[in-house]
Amino acid sequence: MAEDLTHAAPHGEHDHKPHGWRRWVYATNHKDIGTMYLIFACTMFFIGGGAAMLIRLELFSPGLQFFDPQFFNSLTTMHALIMIFGAVMPAWTGLANWMIPMQLGAPDMALPRLNNLSFWILPFAFTLLLATFFVPGGAPAGGWTMYPPLMLQTGAAFPMLIFSVHLMGASSILGAINVIVTIINMRAPGITLMRMPLFVWTWLITAYLLIAVMPVLAGAVTMLLTDHFFGTTFFTAAGGGDPVMFQHIFWFFGHPEVYILILPAFGIVSEVIPTFARKPLFGYEAMVYATASIAFLSFIVWAHHMFTVGMPLAAQLFFMLSTMLIAVPTGVKVFNWTTTMWKGSLSFEPPMLFALAFLFLFTIGGFSGLMLAIVPADYQYQDTYFVVAHFHYVLVPGAIFGIMAGVYYWLPKWSGRMYDQTLAKWHFWLSAIFVNVLFFPQHFLGLAGMPRRIPDYAVQFTDWNRVSSIGGFGFGLAQLLLPYLIWKCIRAGKPIGNRAWEGAHGLEWELPSPAPYHSWTEPPSDAVIARGAEH
Amino acid sequence: MSASGIDAMSQRRRVRRSAWLWAMIAAGFYLGFIVLTLLRGTQ
Repeated sequence: MAEDLTHAAPHGEHDHKPHGWRRWVYATNHKDIGTMYLIFACTMFFIGGGAAMLIRLELFSPGLQFFDPQFFNSLTTMHALIMIFGAVMPAWTGLANWMIPMQLGAPDMALPRLNNLSFWILPFAFTLLLATFFVPGGAPAGGWTMYPPLMLQTGAAFPMLIFSVHLMGASSILGAINVIVTIINMRAPGITLMRMPLFVWTWLITAYLLIAVMPVLAGAVTMLLTDHFFGTTFFTAAGGGDPVMFQHIFWFFGHPEVYILILPAFGIVSEVIPTFARKPLFGYEAMVYATASIAFLSFIVWAHHMFTVGMPLAAQLFFMLSTMLIAVPTGVKVFNWTTTMWKGSLSFEPPMLFALAFLFLFTIGGFSGLMLAIVPADYQYQDTYFVVAHFHYVLVPGAIFGIMAGVYYWLPKWSGRMYDQTLAKWHFWLSAIFVNVLFFPQHFLGLAGMPRRIPDYAVQFTDWNRVSSIGGFGFGLAQLLLPYLIWKCIRAGKPIGNRAWEGAHGLEWELPSPAPYHSWTEPPSDAVIARGAEH
Repeated sequence: MSASGIDAMSQRRRVRRSAWLWAMIAAGFYLGFIVLTLLRGTQ
């Protein structure tokens, strides 16, 4: 078992900040590992974003322009895998690494060496995944859902894909164990569960979800592997298997996975809005219970992804109604965020702008999700661009904007410097405008019947595809501002005090800026906790 | 008991115990699901 750290335990060799490559390869410091996670996620975001730009380039005009259909399908498949497992999930883990110990008054994560292992698995997993572009048969092209029998036709990339999915799963599970053990055991005295910041709460629930569902994905892809290489027929009808069973197993993982991607964003928005409304979060306890309710419900809605494959009427009704039930705790959250702002002294710094855009645009994604939950309507929407529009509204202005809000909120604490807020507002407005230009027309395309995962389309879909592609290029280019802004901030940002934002509360703001390499080597005093733990 | 009021040894023990507990749960889920499906596949 990895080394554990406690408040009073001496750090030994960790007292000194290591230099050179050893600092990163042998990293056990939560801030270093968090930084590596965030850099990795940013790199993957641009690789996955590059794939998205190529997809939009091909779809700019009807007919085949640049890529053959097989490669186009590889682009859509790899875009999804890279963005989900390579960009969003590692970004959340990076933020968790940086912030959870600082917010709990803990000196580090509970299991620092395990933390190192969790991170360093990822570069190997994604090297393997990206290498599939260069093997005979090309990269996987059957979609990120890996449905058989189509997926079983993958060439040499197939075992590489399965192994890389196993590695990603192992990394996520190890990271989740670390988060749970840290939160349960490393809280400073006085930080009770119900005094924890919402970001910590949402991550605790996310970690439980990860441990519960990543093994299911591992089991599903292992069955695919044995079907392909070892003669089993789990998903082959000719041998007594059932390809629909894969869909059930996959989505039993896949739907909670959606909440794994979004719950930490709920936590960040719950930190940012009170800060810039200069009011405590409205309904803290309700937020905790709503998050837990969403997590529970995520386990009993999976078949809404597969209404059209056929299931008994009772099952359709059950999954439709259980899906709609998720709107209740989600509505509680939206209500509480809105009420937090009510009569607040609002200001609109970049983190707040991203949080507000999250609030509006994620809600649009939520509403189109409700439409998709209605069984007879879903029969029309299934496999159209309406679905693409829906989940991108949830994941881009949802998860990605949540990450942006978190980065802009805590960057001054990490770097000790304030970034160029004008440039950050440019980043926000360009992102917020282009993300709607990119994804809103896809609702129209879907309702008009354009299928997803195709490189060519009927000419009547041309106009909205062009608008969507222009939005895609604009959104993609706007993201280049982020790394430039971070570089500029680290190099020449104006030094700031402990509390970067006037209305910020929480233990992290009681630490100096930049946060020292080893923070909270002694637990915070009661007075510091009282000052910092206001929600 | 340390100066900070925390029993370091007991916290260390708690960290180790819950790390093992969650590792066992995760490994049980992970390997259990795979083994069960493979056993089912060989029937």
